[in-house]
Amino acid sequence: MSEQALQDSWWLLTRARGVGLLLRVLVLLGPLVALVVTRAAGGSAPVVIEFGVVALTVCCVVVPDSQVGLLVVLLVGLGWLVTVDDTTTPWSLAMALALLVFHTSLAASSIAAPGAAWSAALRRRWLLRSIVLAMMCVAAWLLVAAVNVYDLAASSALVAASLVVLAVAGLLISRLSCTPEAHETLDIA
Amino acid sequence: MSAGDRWRPTAAHVRAIIVALVFAMVAVLGRRPDVLVLAAPFVGAAVWAIVLRPTQVPQVRQAIGHRTVREGDATTWHVHVDDPEGRVEAVAALLESPDWVDRRPLEGQVVTALHDDGTEALDVVVRSTRWGRRQIGPAVVVATGAWGAFRWTARRESQAASLLTLPQTSRFDAAAPPVHVPGLIGVNRSPRQGSGNEFASIRPFQPGDRLRRIHWARSVRSGTLHVSSTWADHDRHVVLLVDALDDVGESEGVDGLASSLDITVRAAGAIAEHYTHAGDRVALVVLGSRGVQRVAPASGYRHLRRLLEVMADIQPAGAQRDDGRLPRGLGSGALVVMLSPLMSPAALRRAATIADHGISLLVVDCLPPDITRQDPDDPYVGLTWRIELLKRDREVRRMRESGIAVVPWRGPGSLDVVLRDLQHHAGTRPRRSR
Repeated sequence: MSEQALQDSWWLLTRARGVGLLLRVLVLLGPLVALVVTRAAGGSAPVVIEFGVVALTVCCVVVPDSQVGLLVVLLVGLGWLVTVDDTTTPWSLAMALALLVFHTSLAASSIAAPGAAWSAALRRRWLLRSIVLAMMCVAAWLLVAAVNVYDLAASSALVAASLVVLAVAGLLISRLSCTPEAHETLDIA
Repeated sequence: MSAGDRWRPTAAHVRAIIVALVFAMVAVLGRRPDVLVLAAPFVGAAVWAIVLRPTQVPQVRQAIGHRTVREGDATTWHVHVDDPEGRVEAVAALLESPDWVDRRPLEGQVVTALHDDGTEALDVVVRSTRWGRRQIGPAVVVATGAWGAFRWTARRESQAASLLTLPQTSRFDAAAPPVHVPGLIGVNRSPRQGSGNEFASIRPFQPGDRLRRIHWARSVRSGTLHVSSTWADHDRHVVLLVDALDDVGESEGVDGLASSLDITVRAAGAIAEHYTHAGDRVALVVLGSRGVQRVAPASGYRHLRRLLEVMADIQPAGAQRDDGRLPRGLGSGALVVMLSPLMSPAALRRAATIADHGISLLVVDCLPPDITRQDPDDPYVGLTWRIELLKRDREVRRMRESGIAVVPWRGPGSLDVVLRDLQHHAGTRPRRSR
């Protein structure tokens, strides 16, 4: 990201108000809550990871439409992996909801300037969709709980089938999502 | 559709896909089903966005409601988005604007759900707070699909509009009689008697009087012929001489402080409006950045509009550009109203030249009355202005001593006393020898 673009982003941020301001606050809160949840689930993540998450989250507040958010989520996930050993912990649901808040608020922040006046219909639409995804997280947690109950995680056949499904899904998604210019959006700030 | 004119995946969509795949891989390979829960929101957002992915490019039209407004008046910048596919979820618009243009919503930023709110919600109200010609728009229009996953940005191609803001004329009215003019045509009563409509008196018949003017009742009673005399009609020729050589003082638009040029232009507009409504012929001479601009004398609403448009295009001159010529068609009966902050020697010379030709001249002082207090944080500014005003007062005093009327602009009726004096002394001022 150029210095001029950074200055423009900072100038826009200083004019944030209303929904734009609320979204920036949520962007900041999401990863912080995720770190707290990680601590609650299994102890504190390495300091480097926590420091990196906080620093990158601040960058996300300034430039929400960048790939910094991806680094934040990956770091938070890494912190979870190295810290939490209990795969059945209900804290994973709280963690997923924190990541959902972060991703949704970051995506919503990038559709308009921070000072833009959001219409009521648009606010309602984003809220309802977030609730739907939150329900999906709950469903996923219930599914994982079922997997643990029946000890399906150890099944080699299931792992192989999952890998196949993932490969197909990855191919499908890349074909449906990426245009030839998609690489332009991958310029990490 | 050109190569650059298409929907592109956003950083949010890339994040959702990569996180979903990476977390799912880790969950499967690392036998960590809890990580699947963390991947769930990203999987949902990515799939949802792909299912509702827009493919057709929307059509955007932009236009301004009115191209000409008065100071303080508002118009609307319309943004219309056509989405034939119906998959555009949100449309954001950002209308940049030059100085002296307020926008509502604040800073011209708005985002709406296209199909729920309609395109009217994208309209931005623009309010011009100072006279002048400015370029407005085009707005940056960005459309996004579900979850902000795909984005399309409208090209900004030649859809800017020119907004002409006419000066908000101050309230002005003059009850003073017109200055004496030699012509005998028009709508105003001449100070001389002649052929007209307005009754003046009954007087004895003189050779040359028309027979239809004979007042028979008075003639029968007195035994000698009497006629009804009338005041002659004439029109008024007003020349507005606008000094745009200087613009001093701070301007905050129609709602705040006024600079000297603000006062000058608004006063000139008010005087022009008053005299054109009265049916008089009004001419305009502007000494400004574009050299000397002249508008020939005429009357009527269309002419007033033309005068105001020329005034709205005035820009203060950086350098002194005055050819020193008298305005065209100036006769001894014309009334020249010079509007000036009287800071420029060229303007003072021009006033002296006009007065030397025996033309009725009224100088309206348009210097802001609070010029010495406009920068309270810096006492030296006020001090400097007081010194400048002392020099200026000396020049104004000299002008008054040479018979040129100088009055400060104070709105309605402020010129009446001087105009009456000019009417009394019209034609008596001797032309000075050069």
